[in-house]
Formats: sequence, C-alpha cells, structure tokens
Amino acid sequence: MDSGKVKFFLGEVLRNFSRNTGMQVTAIGTVAITIVLLGLFLFVRAALADAGNRLLDQIEISAYLQSDATAGQATAIGHFLTQDPRIASAQFVPKKQGLAELRSRTRGSIDTALLTENPLPDKFRIKVRDPEQVEPVAATVRRLAGVDNVVYGQKIVQRLLALGTVLRKVGIGLILAFVGVAGIIISNTIRLTVFARRREIAIMQLVGATNTYIRLPFICEGLLDGIIGALVALGLLAIARAALWPRLLEALPWVQLTAMPVDARILAAQLILTGAAIGVLASWISVGRFLRT
Amino acid sequence: MISLRGVSLVYPNGVRALDNVSLEIGKGDFVFLVGHSGTGKSSLLRLLYREAASTAGEIVVDGIRVDRLRRNRVPALRRHLGVVFQDFKLLTDKTVWENVAFAMQVTGAHTRDVMRQVPRVLDLVGLSHKSRMYPNELSGGEQQRAAIARALVNNPKILLCDEPTGNLDPVNTTEITALLQRINLKGTTVVVATHNQAVVDRMRRRVVRLEDGRITTDEERGYYYLGLGQGQVLSG
Repeated sequence: MDSGKVKFFLGEVLRNFSRNTGMQVTAIGTVAITIVLLGLFLFVRAALADAGNRLLDQIEISAYLQSDATAGQATAIGHFLTQDPRIASAQFVPKKQGLAELRSRTRGSIDTALLTENPLPDKFRIKVRDPEQVEPVAATVRRLAGVDNVVYGQKIVQRLLALGTVLRKVGIGLILAFVGVAGIIISNTIRLTVFARRREIAIMQLVGATNTYIRLPFICEGLLDGIIGALVALGLLAIARAALWPRLLEALPWVQLTAMPVDARILAAQLILTGAAIGVLASWISVGRFLRT
Repeated sequence: MISLRGVSLVYPNGVRALDNVSLEIGKGDFVFLVGHSGTGKSSLLRLLYREAASTAGEIVVDGIRVDRLRRNRVPALRRHLGVVFQDFKLLTDKTVWENVAFAMQVTGAHTRDVMRQVPRVLDLVGLSHKSRMYPNELSGGEQQRAAIARALVNNPKILLCDEPTGNLDPVNTTEITALLQRINLKGTTVVVATHNQAVVDRMRRRVVRLEDGRITTDEERGYYYLGLGQGQVLSG
C-alpha cells in the first residue's frame, strides 16, 4: 500500500472534520442524545424483562392428584413429567409434606391440629424451563390419568407475558423512531458540510475522481461523528447510572432490580455500532443526493 | 481527436443551446471557439467533458463515445481531458503544489508519480518558485497558470479552456496565450472558447464561429471578426 496515499486521505478527512467544528458538534450531539435515549431504553427494558422473568421463574405448577389415584398412577405421572423436555423439575409432594408446608406457611394462623384427617391431596410441584411454556405444560398435565386439578398463577403469567410482548413491540417502534430522527438530523448536518465543500467536490469531479472516492471522506466523517457521539453517550450513561442507581433502588424497593441486567460490554458495543451505522448511512444518503445533481 | 456530428443540446428549460453542430478537431490542433456570450461556446465545451449531455447527435472524444457514456464512466473520460475556466477554480485552502497534486491524488495516483509529475508541470507553467504559496497570494495570471498546471498534471491529450483570459489584464493574457501555445506545440490538442479579439487575431489559428447555437464559419487561419483580411485593421 502506498503510504503517501493513505496520508493524503487521512489528512483530508481530519482537515474536513476539524474545519466545520460547529457542524460536527451538532452531529455528534445529536448522535449522543439518540444513543443516550436508546441506551436508557434498552437498559430499562432489560431491567423490566429481568424482573418479570424472575417473577415468572418463581411460578410453579401444582398438579393435584385425585384422592383415589393409585401409587402406580403417581409413578407413571412422575415418569412422564421427567421425560418432558419443557419441564425443568418435577417434585412429588406427598400429602403429609403438603400439610407440613401449609403449617409453616400459615404460621399458626390456622390451627391444623383441629383437622381430623389430612384434607390435602398428593401433588406434583412442577417448574418449567421457559415461562412461555407454563400454560401449555399445565394443559398437558391436566389431561394425565390420575390428575385432579392443575393450579398455577394464570393471571400473573398471562399479564407478564402480554406485558413482555407490548414492551417488545413498543420498544422496536421507539428504537426505529430514535434512529430515524438521528439519521435525518445527521444527514442534514452532513449535507451542510457537503455544501460547504461543493467547490472541492466540483473540482474532484472535473479531474475525474470517481463518486466512490468523493464519497469516502464524507462516509468517514459520518463514521467519526457516530462513534464519537456514541462514546459521549456511553460516558453520560455511565455517570447517570452511578448517580441514579442507588436512589432508584431506594425508590422502588418492591421491584426486584438487578444491578446490571445486561452485559455492559455488549450494550456498549451495540450502542457504538448503532452510532457508527447512523453516521455512515446518513452521510451516504446526503452525499449521494449531492452527487446526483 | 474530437468529433461532433449533428449534435444538438436543448436544456430542460427549453433553451436550444446547440443546433445540429458538426465539427472535427484533429490531434494536436489549436482551435478557437468564438462568438457572443450565449451562442453556445461553453455549452459545446461542457458536452465534451460531459458536464452536459447532448440531446441529439454523436460525440467522440479521444475514442470515447461521449453521447452514449454511462454516468459511472464519466470519470474515465475526464482523465483524458484537462479543463481550465475563467475563474480558475482553485482551492483557496491549499497551496499551488497541493492544488496541482490534488488532481492526481483524488484519481488514486501513486505518490511516486505525484512527486515526479507535479514539479514537471509547475516548471512548464513557470510556477516552481511559488509552489508553496496559496492562490490568494498570487496574481490572476499566476492563478490561471496554476489551474493550467492542474489541468495538465494527468497528461491529458486534450486541453479545454473556457474563457481562460476572461479575468486577466492584457499582459497576463499574453502570457497565458503563449503558455497555451507552448502546450499545443508539445502535442496537446487545445480548444479555447473566448471573446478576446486580441488573442484570436494575434494567434492566427483555426477559428470556429458560433451564432445562436450553430457553427457559421470555420476558418483555418482566422480572425475574430468575419471577413477581416490579412493586414486589415478594424476601424472604430
């Protein structure tokens, strides 16, 4: 590779980048704000999803056996449950243990000593691997011979799952809106820098520079805007997290929040990539418009 | 080298800039395009370097069918041509050297070739001693010489000049004209659109006259004004 060529090219990029400081600051600021919003949103969504998942994880299915179910039927059910790939664990709880658990859970508010016989049936306590599978698994288990009734937190499961779907849809919409707005602003900013350099572009075209070559420095400029904007945003997000997180935990004690629901490195990489992509796309479009006229 | 057959150019706003123009320019020729403003001189040049696209006719420049040229092949055509304008079109934030080298660098030339070629053309136009100066520090004539150096740096076979002396005083005009002649003597085909009578009359080269988008005369050793015989002086 010709080092002189590379030097010339990088020199042109840096020169243009440092020349229109005002415009660069605008573009970088726009990217930064977008990425901050995007980062906040992704973080909040991950935190909510995390809290929701933990609620869902605690949900278990109780399959009560018919009082006249035979030991053979119980064994068959247990065998069936361990075969099902959707089920994480299935534990047989005999009625004695059920009563003991009931006693400890109610802590004496019900006097179980008054009971002349144990009213509880035997049951299986089932945990599924995926919260989405709670309902289908419950339906399957209900049909098994010897199973009387199946109980699980239907309402909670349904609501959480519905909430998750809504959040995902709203989230995708919001992200697209953010990125779109940022793209428009950056493409306008870059169009201004393109306009400021129209003489240079005209001369490049005159001496036979290809459109790709003319475009390249602007693309690099957009890329720089995007990456720097994303880095600024990451800095702001880190500061915001350090300052606000403890207060948030205090304010919302009933929400089970994890300190870091997402891998910070992955989130950072996603945000930087998004910034870079916005910058490149926006400059590509705005230079393209100029070259065509 | 340049061939136009039945070429017409109608701008989108309906103005007919050129009407059925046919013209042959051979290798190494020196041709003046003369005529009043708005008679199609610049339009004709613009067709040659494909800044404008003809609406009819056939254009061949250095073996390239310009009228059928696809947009992505335009850069290749322009590397066969040098173009010089009245307003020089130099980049004010680059030195003379950088302006000239720019034309090579943006076409992906090797640095070795840039280092060899730029001093050569600066020497040709007589600007070697001012290569580190910026355009604003130069006289109009020097700026035009820098622009000519830039047009020549890629070794084009054809040099197109659109009113190259339009912004210059008589002394600088003479210098630039002499420079164009020297370039022509080295074998480059030179086409100059001008309405500078003195330049045309002094040079006594081929003169193609345009009126209302048509070629009205084409003289081998012509004058600016039609019918002005050798030795005659226009009075008034």
